[in-house]
Amino acid sequence: MREKILQTLNELRIYALDKGVEVSLYFHEEDSYLMRFANSAISLNTNEHLIRLEVTAFEGNKRASYAMITDLDKVNDMKQGIDTACEMVKHVMPLSYSPTVPVYQSPFIDEGNFDPELAQMSNEEKLGFFNQVVNGLETEEIKLSGIFSCGANTVAAVSTRSAHPFFVTTSDAQVSIVLAHSALKWEVQSEQSAQRKTDLDAAELRAELVTLLHHYTHDTPQQIPLGRYDIVFGAAAIADMLNFTSFIGFNGGLMKRGYSCLKEENIGQKVFSEQFTFVDDPSRRETFPFRCDLYGIPRDRFPLVENGVFKAFTWYQDDADEFSQSPTGHTVPHHSLCMAGGTQHLNTLGDLLKQSRESDILYIPFLHYMNIVNPSKGIITGSSRFGALLLKKDGSIVVPYNVRLTQSLLDVFGDKIEWIAQDTLPYNTSTSYGARNPTSILVPRFMRVNDLEISLSNSSY
Amino acid sequence: MIDQIKQQIERLRARGATYVDTRWYPYEETNSLLMWNGNLKDTSSSRESGIGVRVLYKGAWGFSASSDLSNLNALYDKAFDNARVAAERVTFPVRLAEKESIEAKFESPSRINPFEVTLADKVAFLREMDRLLDQPGVTQRVSKLDFRRKQIIFVDSEGSQIEKVITDVFAGLEVNGLDSEGGMHERKFNPPRRGDSRGWETIDLRYFSENAERIVRELKETLQAERCPVDDRSVILLPGIMYLQTHETIGHALELDRILGYELAFAGGSFVTLNDFGKLRYGSEKLTARADATLLNTPGSFGYDDDGVPAQDNLLIDKGILVGAISGRQMVEEANAKARRAIFNGSSGANRATAFYRVPIERMTNINIDPGNDGTLEDIIRNTEKGILLDGDRSWSIGSNREQFHFGTEAGWLVEDGRITRPVKNATYKGATVPFWNSLSAVGDRSTWEVCYVANCGKGQPNQIMQLGHGVPVCRFDNVRIGE
Ligand SMILES: [Zn+2]
Repeated sequence: MREKILQTLNELRIYALDKGVEVSLYFHEEDSYLMRFANSAISLNTNEHLIRLEVTAFEGNKRASYAMITDLDKVNDMKQGIDTACEMVKHVMPLSYSPTVPVYQSPFIDEGNFDPELAQMSNEEKLGFFNQVVNGLETEEIKLSGIFSCGANTVAAVSTRSAHPFFVTTSDAQVSIVLAHSALKWEVQSEQSAQRKTDLDAAELRAELVTLLHHYTHDTPQQIPLGRYDIVFGAAAIADMLNFTSFIGFNGGLMKRGYSCLKEENIGQKVFSEQFTFVDDPSRRETFPFRCDLYGIPRDRFPLVENGVFKAFTWYQDDADEFSQSPTGHTVPHHSLCMAGGTQHLNTLGDLLKQSRESDILYIPFLHYMNIVNPSKGIITGSSRFGALLLKKDGSIVVPYNVRLTQSLLDVFGDKIEWIAQDTLPYNTSTSYGARNPTSILVPRFMRVNDLEISLSNSSY
Repeated sequence: MIDQIKQQIERLRARGATYVDTRWYPYEETNSLLMWNGNLKDTSSSRESGIGVRVLYKGAWGFSASSDLSNLNALYDKAFDNARVAAERVTFPVRLAEKESIEAKFESPSRINPFEVTLADKVAFLREMDRLLDQPGVTQRVSKLDFRRKQIIFVDSEGSQIEKVITDVFAGLEVNGLDSEGGMHERKFNPPRRGDSRGWETIDLRYFSENAERIVRELKETLQAERCPVDDRSVILLPGIMYLQTHETIGHALELDRILGYELAFAGGSFVTLNDFGKLRYGSEKLTARADATLLNTPGSFGYDDDGVPAQDNLLIDKGILVGAISGRQMVEEANAKARRAIFNGSSGANRATAFYRVPIERMTNINIDPGNDGTLEDIIRNTEKGILLDGDRSWSIGSNREQFHFGTEAGWLVEDGRITRPVKNATYKGATVPFWNSLSAVGDRSTWEVCYVANCGKGQPNQIMQLGHGVPVCRFDNVRIGE
């Protein structure tokens, strides 16, 4: 398939050169499968095979783009797409800066993170995997929900500035398994991210669900008092908060526009906990990485925070062009965010529950519907979901109703961090909006942060 | 093409499918322009076409979609195979509520097709808006235009054939500024729907100009204001935030698939149970809410849903009592069977998909609150002893069963003894859904009622972004915690 894609892009490139126009071409192909479960049944079993082409035309400081869903056989349609973008660019207004046209200095081809075994898992195999995880855990009232999403994703690009192509193909899977009580409305969840088929581990998913079910089926949920808690966050909550931190923290363009909790003078300063190290590391295959960006800049390990010291903003090409900055190789569909593990030896939820504790600890595995209350101060809000537990200092464990946390990310990753688990894992943060874009963040399994305020506590689910 | 679709549907019926439908999109096109601080950052267009096939086999759904129409056999077989495997795990076999099979056409009202307006005219509009927003104190200014047009041909195995052409225009303005402590604040204008159509003619330069000046003025007020106090007060919600309150804590909570547990893996459930219909006091007697897909000028109106059911105007909450839900053909059958009573009399016509490659699910239409008898905005302010007037959505976060919420607004003005005293910044309010709606103490008259739109409501897996509307009046709620 690679040859046909590159051949087609080259034909389109030659067409543009013959017309005497400047364009970049961005090609995306996805073969997506999703099996969705609800009420212990398969509520939807779907697949889409889609090819998208986006043509960006440049004319001096002017830029316009045209996107289409197409097929490799429809070369004439694609040529018309080039014509349309080139017609549009004539009528737009020049930018106040000169937009960069992508140039690839040499061919960039990366097929190392593609596992056909994962991308083409059959319907029967996916159903079998789910059955293995939940066998015997469902009851008349405890129902299975979840997804098994897998697929193949290809991004290719070329521009009129050079004959060298850009081509990256990856395989991915996202598994999310929820067991929910249909009358009492509690929910517990376990999730997994896979880049290769061998990353899938039914036993691990099952063990976490069994531990949570033990507490949720035996204990009576309680409304916990408002106030300050020492909180252990699970991987999902950590990943979500890191996503928001990189959005309203590390993005140089947003900082320039006043939409960031970090300022230029913070570079080189200790802003976070010494235990906190956060990097963009495209060498980690679990993050479905891009080792070159779409403007041809090689991508290497890029420290954002090292031992609490803020190191650098990331600059997308267009923001770098506008604000006269050097681009940092971050113009890719997603980054390879990795938070370093700490010193605490905790490999499973069971280990956390067994650990002796000198104070009550609230365990929040997942934060639902997070949003930014005040970007300048880094304040976010969200509610606990999917298996929160209150670990009492006397060793007992209580099931709490969901609670709301409204907090600054500068505090969450700041000096209030008590410890960070040593072990890290990829947490799949893919959304299925628009074109497939498998994404995951490497995060510690657990992180304990002391003295955070719970601002709302439910009296039911 | 339609004949080929019908042949394929018949072929799968012969293989044992109990129901098959097809949505063929001959085209769906978009055009977006975005000007940021005078730079036309985005000028983009797109066009796609393709076909989505939904098959019901032994009580289970299979779906498949492709942009490649050259091999329909393979596409329909894939959808059938997906259903065949899904049928291995069925707990409640899917049944579809009765409907009439119809042949029909719908075209959304539009006097000027935005795809026939020149790029130069669109750019000129944005330049004028940018010029008006370019004022001292404004650090970021954004003007945007977004146009969509699609043709959908729906054919099902029950004999329906429906053709729709839907055009929508979304335009918006936003300004940002920094206060003396470096805190960022914003103010937006997403124009309420006026008139009886939804094409380019809705881009009324004078209306936009007046509101451009207003949002700059209100942003400057906010930048100078003191922080919103932490307090318990009456909150008076203008349509610019009332629409979101309605969206998040009535609309999503009353989607029947959520109520039945079909979104537990992702979007969440609902605190509402089947037992609550006809009984639950959702809000005070002043609250009457409806799902009205027959309004002319909003993206929540579409003629026929993607089950082929005609658009309807249904009560959801009648004088405070929960009576209806947002539903499609599948969910009403399951709900009635599980409740062992006929709560719902057929589909409410609200099953929609965002694209040919997505499957239809329960989506809001226009979820409206009826105007009330408590007068104009001025009357409501005059009758408020200690309150806060709020407008503009800035942040929103809702519990997974829609049981509680936290909203931040762009603008807030304290109200003391019947008059507005001063603006505040960083205004927020929070609450628990049912107690909040039960504290509804005033509902503005028709002069306060505006039709707002939502251009990006997300739901489902694979995820779907949907457009819809909310016709809402000014409302007042008592004893609400603000400022946290
Ligand atoms: Zn929504």
